Amino acid sequence: MKPLKTQDERLIRAYSRALHLYPAGFRKRNAEAMLRTFRDAVEDDDLVRRDLVALTVTDLCISLVKEHLAMLRDTFARPVLVYNAVVLAALSTGLALALYAIPQQVLRQGANDPQIQMSTDLAAILNRYGVTDGLHQGALLQSGGVVDMGQSLSPFLIVYDDQGHALGSNAQLNGQTPAPPQGVFDFVRSHGEERVTWEPIPHSHAVRIAAVVERVNGPQPGFVLAGRSMREVEARIAQVSQMARFTWFGMLGVIALGTAMFGWYTRPRAE
Amino acid sequence: MATIVPQRTPPTSAVFAILLSLAEESEPGSRNGRRSANGKHGYQIMKDVRMPAGGSVKMGPGTLYGSLDRMMRDGLVEETGMTDDERRRYYRLTRLGESVLASELNRLDAAVSSARSLGLLPQGGRS
Repeated sequence: MKPLKTQDERLIRAYSRALHLYPAGFRKRNAEAMLRTFRDAVEDDDLVRRDLVALTVTDLCISLVKEHLAMLRDTFARPVLVYNAVVLAALSTGLALALYAIPQQVLRQGANDPQIQMSTDLAAILNRYGVTDGLHQGALLQSGGVVDMGQSLSPFLIVYDDQGHALGSNAQLNGQTPAPPQGVFDFVRSHGEERVTWEPIPHSHAVRIAAVVERVNGPQPGFVLAGRSMREVEARIAQVSQMARFTWFGMLGVIALGTAMFGWYTRPRAE
Repeated sequence: MATIVPQRTPPTSAVFAILLSLAEESEPGSRNGRRSANGKHGYQIMKDVRMPAGGSVKMGPGTLYGSLDRMMRDGLVEETGMTDDERRRYYRLTRLGESVLASELNRLDAAVSSARSLGLLPQGGRS
């Protein structure tokens, strides 16, 4: 080994320090040989010193990034780790969906409860008398005052004739008695009953009603609609959705952290 | 027995240049020179690949040893197990490495022939 100039010794010392920036495994395998190679380059009189420095700096920048990415890939992106993480993430996604969907359905179905009873009772009366005569006999009066569908949380009743025209109601929205889409009546005509979420102002989510529509048969056929604003129920469903979302993100976070820790502790070690 | 070269993506310019360097015999009597039977050490490869005949690839020790690491993992090169008293490590091509180099050279040769027939390169010589 020939003696080096002070400037060259400094260069080699600087390169030796820079080698500590490489990932431990790579450094352990190659640092000695890399330093020897760099020393060979420094000793090569044919190589212009400035070119060597420029080449080495560029090489350090590129290979440091490359080797750290390779280390990250070998540590955290091993197929078994990725597979486990994906399976756990899928399970937690399913669980979070269930955490949302089950209470959502229970709350939504529960929102129909008084209406089912109300529509069934009124339909039973109107089945006997017919929709027009039944109304004349005060079938709706037992329900109390007029309900403002946009504001009140009270359940209400509307009676329609066979064509879907409102005949009587104890509820109003903006001074009128709205009617659900004709398709709902068609369905109830053939199936007897339908439970729907009804938006009386089309294409607006301002008022949403949990509606139960019953068929009235008999001498004057028609329909009975019992409804109630879903404002409170939807607020609870939104809370459930938020909790399910937090749970989901929490589970994904734990999976990511656990996978990262497991990957780190089981990473391939330098030989 | 013919070696079956598995279908693979073309090697990077650094890997190709290293394969080429390790395939040729080092010049007898050159500085730190060894015959390829014993392989070549890092700086020899760095010098080879910098030459026009070696691919004109400017490569520092980081890229060189990173590439050699991956090539050893892929079975293209191997350490000869030999280190001299100045702690240089020596590398040589494996059979697979030779096959991969040959197949890449064939691919490049076909591409150059095609370019010639299209008139993109002058006939019968280097561009």
